[in-house]
Amino acid sequence: MAKSYGWAGKVLQVDLTNEKVNKVPTTNYRPEEFIGGVGLSAKIFWELGCPKVDAFDPGNPLIISAGPLTGMYGPFGRGEVCSISPQCYPDELFTYSGFGGMFPAKMKYAGCDGIVVLGKAEKPVYLSIHEEDVEIKDATDLWGVDTFEAQKVLMNDEPEASILVTGPAGENLSRIAVILNETKFAAGQGGFGGVMGSKNLKAIAVRGTGVVAVAKPDKVLELTRTIIEENKKINWVRLMFRTPYMAPQETKEKFAARYFEKHYGCYGCPLQCHSIHYIPGIGLSGVSCANWLWAPTFSIDPKEVWEANVISQRLGINTFEGIIGLPLLLALSLKSGILTRREIEEDIGLPTPKWLGGTATNHEFLTVLLHKIANGESPYAEGTPRFIEYFRKKLVCGEKLVDLYKELYTAWGYAFHHVDNLGSALHWATDTRDPVDSCHEYKNSAPETMEHFGLPPYANYQIVNLSKTVYEGAERVTAWVQDNQCLKNSLPVCEFWSSVTSFYNPPEMDLRIFESRLLSAVTGLDMNVDKLAMAGERIWNLRRAIMVKRENRTRENDTLNEPYFKKAITCYGGTATGLVNGPIDKAKFEALKDRYYELRGWDVTTGWPTRAKLEELGLKNVADELANIGKLP
Amino acid sequence: MLEVPKSGVLVHDPNVCAGCGVCEVMCSLYHEGVLGPALARSHIVRQPFTTKHGHNICRQCSSPGCYFACPLKDRAICIDGRTGTTYIDEDECTGCGICVDACPFDPPRIKINVEKNVAFKCDLCKGREGGPICVEYCPFQALKFASKNER
Repeated sequence: MAKSYGWAGKVLQVDLTNEKVNKVPTTNYRPEEFIGGVGLSAKIFWELGCPKVDAFDPGNPLIISAGPLTGMYGPFGRGEVCSISPQCYPDELFTYSGFGGMFPAKMKYAGCDGIVVLGKAEKPVYLSIHEEDVEIKDATDLWGVDTFEAQKVLMNDEPEASILVTGPAGENLSRIAVILNETKFAAGQGGFGGVMGSKNLKAIAVRGTGVVAVAKPDKVLELTRTIIEENKKINWVRLMFRTPYMAPQETKEKFAARYFEKHYGCYGCPLQCHSIHYIPGIGLSGVSCANWLWAPTFSIDPKEVWEANVISQRLGINTFEGIIGLPLLLALSLKSGILTRREIEEDIGLPTPKWLGGTATNHEFLTVLLHKIANGESPYAEGTPRFIEYFRKKLVCGEKLVDLYKELYTAWGYAFHHVDNLGSALHWATDTRDPVDSCHEYKNSAPETMEHFGLPPYANYQIVNLSKTVYEGAERVTAWVQDNQCLKNSLPVCEFWSSVTSFYNPPEMDLRIFESRLLSAVTGLDMNVDKLAMAGERIWNLRRAIMVKRENRTRENDTLNEPYFKKAITCYGGTATGLVNGPIDKAKFEALKDRYYELRGWDVTTGWPTRAKLEELGLKNVADELANIGKLP
Repeated sequence: MLEVPKSGVLVHDPNVCAGCGVCEVMCSLYHEGVLGPALARSHIVRQPFTTKHGHNICRQCSSPGCYFACPLKDRAICIDGRTGTTYIDEDECTGCGICVDACPFDPPRIKINVEKNVAFKCDLCKGREGGPICVEYCPFQALKFASKNER
């Protein structure tokens, strides 16, 4: 294999059914065009033919990838999991979930830009990767063991390994199971822990005993100076997230003083935005922004939030669903008279704490709900939309429950998050999951940033105050954020760090200016701003082609749940922010879609990418394939 | 016996170290032009379930076993007469590995770079303006340079 700079050089292909391991040179996937992460994974998925199988079918590839900047100093320590998602609703779609921690960098130091797992092992196994040795090892004893304990056992056998693991929830095919590294680093959305479970794959252990070469070390060293400066601007968040930030000041201070242990974050990143706490009797774990969201809604006792987190993490459950989404829906159902306490207890089968009108403790509620999820018990383990679908037929108020669900879950089976502007709404409508981190991009964009790029400022296209909402131009923001997002999830750059308050400061406002310099210095390729911008667009188009080919995506599907066009939606049911959004004008939104497809160079009638656009992006083979199956306009 | 001048040393505070690996990345980048703990002089032993991260690095012994064991003493392994820092001259080192065995610590704080066939260890970024790069980049000041009087 030729010497590779930035990229580690190979992609592992593991066939668990036939116990075969293949090492494919990363160059086979044209990394200079698809970069890494989401881009590389989309390319791999396309080359595999975009299999039309179910998420839990052995033929569903589980693709874990890093990018050329992973393992560098700075906010680059992330990876992506891409696969057909059991969490997406109503259809299982090919989507992505980013994760940080130690694993992505260690995977690269072990020589891999990506790991593609196909097939299904006969009995529980784990994958051991050490230097050139890749072994499929027995994990029968680890099956049923929680994520923390399983990692501790594996670290005895695999010294200093970094481990990706699925918990009991994933083993039992919950659709809201996560893939976890250490205590807190999770590929959370997507339900990919269940995909691991369906393959009888308990864990992947990598020992990063190699190195990744960089083309121009002196230039890279020089560029790290900018990262130091940017870190100073953003490191306030590490202080914010180390306390239950929505709790009263006094509670916050007490909690941090008593239980805070350390800051915590991705390999090589100076921000370390998560934190680790230890509460005697409950345990030690990590936390960041969304983990605290349980607090203001259900309990002012941060210890109860802590317990919810620790149980979820050990069992491998997506906290955004298991301890925020579903409980919130139940609480609002009670509040609005859709459900009674008796129905929640007797028909739905959950204990009712105070906020559900009963006398149970939060401990009792959490223990029952989270263990039902972890045991794979239907419908609790299926995620909120399928849970609602189940009770739609069983309960008198089923239809009303569905209506409420549709408000809280914006599209594709994913919970509401910053849909307070048209740009974000259009992004949601044209994606396969919640564009969760990029949602902040719309909201936090500074007017001078938007002016620099010739884009409308947030104030113009927000839908919080409809008297100020202009639909014209919103499509340009969406396309811009989507292309940037594709780059961020491919280089990778932490979406959280690289929000518009960082790396966007004049005169180098474009994220891609710094990143193109860094990527060029790391890889030795000439990756100028235009090339990098085009790579972002290319990746978005390839993702769209996958939707069109595999999922019969058309313009008609590019929408949000209907309440968003019919009524004002209260964010999180009014529990967190009190902001009211919309409604979005359906006819104007359709006209916005027209302009979006035109801007994208796609067909306005079908929403399909055109040959001209695909060829412009170097995706001629994609155009040919779409023509073959009659899906090229 | 030769009088060895006392050196400063890097000290690690396990109470604040986040185990983030910044020291490893910057060390390997600065000294070897690559990324990865395998060629870093600074080595974090990460303990994700206790957060008591360990740190292995050359202790700059006042009677350095590696130096006395080196068959090319004062050519391959040398002691800076001014600072007292033990360092390796890559051009002279033959990669024989005797120094690795002579290191009193477990694991040894000298390792062999197999590709170059030379030994490597922390030399406190000898000659670098601004001192050791790991100290400069550590986000939590968990690594500090202790002068010979402070150690």
